[in-house]
Amino acid sequence: MKETDVVIIGAGPAGCTAARKVAEAGFSVLIVDKRQELGAPIQCSGAVSRHALIENDIYPDPEFIHEAIYGFRIMDGLGAETNIDYRELKPETYGAQSDRQTLGYVVDRRRFDRYLYTQAERAGAEGWLKAEALGYEQSGAEVVVSIRRFNEVNQVKTKVIVGADGLRSQVGKWAGMQTHIKLTELASCLQVIVDGVETDGMLELITGSQTAPGGYGWVFPKGGGYAEVGLGVIAPYTTKTAQQHLDDFMKNSFLSQRFSNAKVLEVQGGGVPLAAPLKKQYADNIILVGDAARHVNPITGGGIHTALSGGRVAADFLNTHLHTETIHDAKAMKRYQDNWLEAVGNQMWRLYKVKKKIFKTKDIVERDVMLYDTMRNYFSPDSEYKKV
Amino acid sequence: MKKPVTFEIGWNACINCAACIAVCPHEAGFVSDFDTIAVHTPCDIACLKCEDICPVNAISHTLAKAESGARR
Repeated sequence: MKETDVVIIGAGPAGCTAARKVAEAGFSVLIVDKRQELGAPIQCSGAVSRHALIENDIYPDPEFIHEAIYGFRIMDGLGAETNIDYRELKPETYGAQSDRQTLGYVVDRRRFDRYLYTQAERAGAEGWLKAEALGYEQSGAEVVVSIRRFNEVNQVKTKVIVGADGLRSQVGKWAGMQTHIKLTELASCLQVIVDGVETDGMLELITGSQTAPGGYGWVFPKGGGYAEVGLGVIAPYTTKTAQQHLDDFMKNSFLSQRFSNAKVLEVQGGGVPLAAPLKKQYADNIILVGDAARHVNPITGGGIHTALSGGRVAADFLNTHLHTETIHDAKAMKRYQDNWLEAVGNQMWRLYKVKKKIFKTKDIVERDVMLYDTMRNYFSPDSEYKKV
Repeated sequence: MKKPVTFEIGWNACINCAACIAVCPHEAGFVSDFDTIAVHTPCDIACLKCEDICPVNAISHTLAKAESGARR
């Protein structure tokens, strides 16, 4: 039977980061993904801060970058607009000049995920694609995972399983973790990649229930003159479908003039949890990272930074744990969550409470004002929120 | 009691947001291999909440065929 120190299920940003860092420390890692192409189908706008990459030892490689980002424009759909352009706020630091920095990027998720997977493999991790994890059984202090790869079932013995398998995590379910997400905390997102819409290096966010009830709309630069136009809605907050909202946004909104020449090149959709992190992200021989553990910023819906950081925290924990410990029960795994809460989680819980307060407000006008103000505050250089 | 139904997903419209699963009252989980509500097993509850909530109107249903004697 194949034996490895760690099996990571799911090769997105969280799983690949964990795999890379555990392999770098010299432990054996198998990372598996049921898909045949990583990053696809794309369910994400791809916005990530430069800081998020650097902090997790990822070089901003042109291989995966669509476009550089320098700031944010928050609009409430009623005429109010806040420009937070770091090229103007901190011109000595940010700009397109060679001696200046970018604030962030819009990445190509297909190439980004593949890049992270490559880095994990180069660090020594073994990767299996078209490999679906079916379940696991206890075997003494370790576990045996069943993985169907090209329709052949393999048994792999391992010490710890890292569940990095997304919003509908199977690993979490196997371990009996409370993974059900409330419908009011699940944003249904739809975006189109378009030609013919101008952008200016800013991430534009449109709040307000007339645009996207429960979520927000966005216009992001996509490189090569293309743009991403999309929105996320909380289904029970609206009687219209997501595509009707997107249609209205593009044809009958205050921005529709800008979209009048838009030609749609791609359509992408997905579910984004705007929820609290899982209260318990571990079990015997199991830890969860990324979307599987609800490591998503509940205000912005951003999940790349939180996935990368979660993967790093998981790897740091595993590298210490595997070095000294032979028991991998829930009690031992709890240390991962403690570390995570300290590094990222407590801040995420704080954001969740802010988000919850906004959406508990019954008056829609008041709620819209709160969301607009929170977004403006969140992205400003002297924000009271530490970015996650 | 409501009659069991079988759901059908317009895969072309589905954005895999999993709202149908989030709203589903089935305790044991009633899901397809594609992270949507189950499509091959009849649903006994037939509350149609998934159909109502789907943000892209991708779900429809037919009355489930009787289990025995359906084969001819």
